[in-house]
Parts: sequence; C-alpha cells; structure tokens
Amino acid sequence: MTTRRPAALDLRDLARIVVFAAIIAVLGLAPGIPVFGSVPITSQTLGVMLAGTVLGAWRGAAAVLVVEVLVALGLPLLAGPRGGAGVFVGPSAGYLIGWIVGAFVIGAIARAGSRRPVWWRTAIACVVGGILVIYAIGIPVVSAVTHLPLATAAISSLAFVPGDLLKVVIATLITQALWRAYPAAFRRGRA
Amino acid sequence: MIALYRTGTGPLHRLAAGPKLLLFAVIALTLSLLAPTLWMLGAALALVVAVYAVAGLGARELGRQLWTSRWLIVIMLVPQLIVLPPVVAVANTGRVVAIILLAAAVTLTTRVPAVIEATERGLGWTRRFGGNPALVGLVLALTITTIPVIAGFATVIREAQAARGARMRLTTFVVPLLVMSLRHADDLGDALAARGVE
Repeated sequence: MTTRRPAALDLRDLARIVVFAAIIAVLGLAPGIPVFGSVPITSQTLGVMLAGTVLGAWRGAAAVLVVEVLVALGLPLLAGPRGGAGVFVGPSAGYLIGWIVGAFVIGAIARAGSRRPVWWRTAIACVVGGILVIYAIGIPVVSAVTHLPLATAAISSLAFVPGDLLKVVIATLITQALWRAYPAAFRRGRA
Repeated sequence: MIALYRTGTGPLHRLAAGPKLLLFAVIALTLSLLAPTLWMLGAALALVVAVYAVAGLGARELGRQLWTSRWLIVIMLVPQLIVLPPVVAVANTGRVVAIILLAAAVTLTTRVPAVIEATERGLGWTRRFGGNPALVGLVLALTITTIPVIAGFATVIREAQAARGARMRLTTFVVPLLVMSLRHADDLGDALAARGVE
C-alpha cells in the first residue's frame, strides 16, 4: 500500500490515467464493432463511460482530459479518425468538454459509498453522466456554433440516443464482468 | 503513432509552436467577433488560401481539409439558410470553416513534441501555485508511447478470438483489453517509481 502523504503523487494512479487515456484512444481508432446483431457503433464514448466507472471521478476525468489535450496538440485520436485543434472550434467542441465532465459525474455516482460496483448504480451513473450531462453541455454549443435554435439542435441530437443507451448497457455489463475478472482494477487510490 | 503533421520547410513550419498557437488564437477570436458580412467572409477565405500557400501545404491539402469538413458545412449551412438571411448564413458557416481550416494548418505544420514543449513552457506560471508542468509533459509523452502498446493488446485479443472461431462481441473484447491494460498500468507505475519520478 502507498503511504498517505497529502499532495504526494501516486505514480500508480498516474499510470492508470495514462493507460486509460490510451484505451480511450484505441477504442476510437478501432472500427465500429457489431453489437447485438449487425449494428456497428463506435466505442469511444464507451471508453469515456468506463473511465468513470473503473477509475472513479477525478482519475476518470483526467484520463479523458489527457486524450483531448493530445487531440488538440494534433493527434488523430477521435473516432473517424479526427484530431487537431479544429475539432475544438467546431460544433462538436461542447460534446468533447461534456466527455470530461461526464466521466467525472459517472465516477462520482458509480463509486459513491461502496468499493464494489453495483449494476444499477453503474447504469444510473452512465445515463446521467454519459448521456444527460454530455448532451446538456453539447447541445447548447452546437446551437451557438451553428446558430440553430436550441430546440432544433436538441431534436437533431436525438438520433444518437438509442446508440448511447446501448452503450450504457454494454458499459454496465463490462464493469460488472471486470469486477469479477480483476477486482484490483477498481483499487481506490486518493480521490 | 501517425500524427497529422506534414513535413515541410515553409515559414509556418519554422515558426515556433508557442507563438504560432498564440497567433492562431488571436485570429480565431477576431474572426468570431466580426460581423457576418461578405467582406468578413472574403477576408477570412483569402487569409486561409494565403496561409496554405505560404505554408507550402498547397491547394490539394486545402481541398482535402475542405472535403473532411463537408458534412460539417452541410449540417451548419442548411438549417441556417431556413431561418437566417442567405448572406448571414453563408458568412456564419464560412467563418467557422475558415477557423477550422486555420487550426488544421497549425496542426499540419507543427510537430507534436514541439507542441508538448510549448505547453510545458506555457504552463510555467502554474509552478507558483503548486502546478507541475514537467509532469504534464511526461503524462502526454507517456500516453503517446502507451497507445501502440494498448493497440497491440487489442490485436492479440482479436487474433486469439479469431483463432478460436469466437464471434467478435464488444464485451468479450473490452473486458480482456481492460484487464491486460490495467495490469500493464501497475507495471508502468512501478517502473516510474523505480526511476524516481516525482
């Protein structure tokens, strides 16, 4: 166990943030994987949800932040593959900020109270942080950048909700399976 | 790692990363504050063409970047044409596209390590408040070297499942990927501690 020193850096936490950032990048680079039959979905937002449920609020948000800083610096790590500073001045900028806040909220809800992940709390966390929070930040930015009325921007994003709900189910299944396969993954460091 | 960087020796390539990013930020802010007129749009597009020409990126690269943004243009332009005067709709869309193309020019002409260094230098002031810019640089560089490692795990898992004739499913792919990756993270943390990183 690490000794408790306030403000001291836990290098294992740092390594987990680095590795999870890489996982999110790899999930974005992987081509859409068919789920439940033949509907392919990109798994990058799944990575964002898992960052929250596995790493917790602060470390999960940090992992997402690291991916986005690398994207801004010019690496094509977003699904597509897209990257470069341009994505942060376009309509998708709000969703990218939403990912960071979303991962934090997911971690805060999913990991509240107990160390052991509970399936219904994981699912609620992913719906609130992974869908509600991300859309709440993403839609107003789409509206501001494209000069569309807020309601129109909101309606046009509804097309992505079924895919996102599917990702909530998958993120919950994976989180529970990971707990059974490798409980050490959920080790709580500081924060 | 394949970055978006294109090799070249033009003035934009030679300009240091820090000043280049600052210059871009100022131009982007100015463009977004100007009124949506055809004059603004003409100036913005002329600036984009000039930047790509001076940087030696050429018309082909400009065309490629425009083609990449085609859906963005459609998504932005069509609804605006319905609710706004055509000139305003076109100017608004052109403004965003110009800023995105300029951002792409910065990305295309700047090496990622140079940007990481500039980020570290730019964060120098945070030391006074307990920030650690060197650590930020380390995390970014470590992540870049870790991505191929995790991508390697993903390939191994896919090949192992294909060899057993297992059908590819998201859960059976991601769970082993997470286990292998997080084990790797613990090794990485120990290695960092052994090297006295703080």
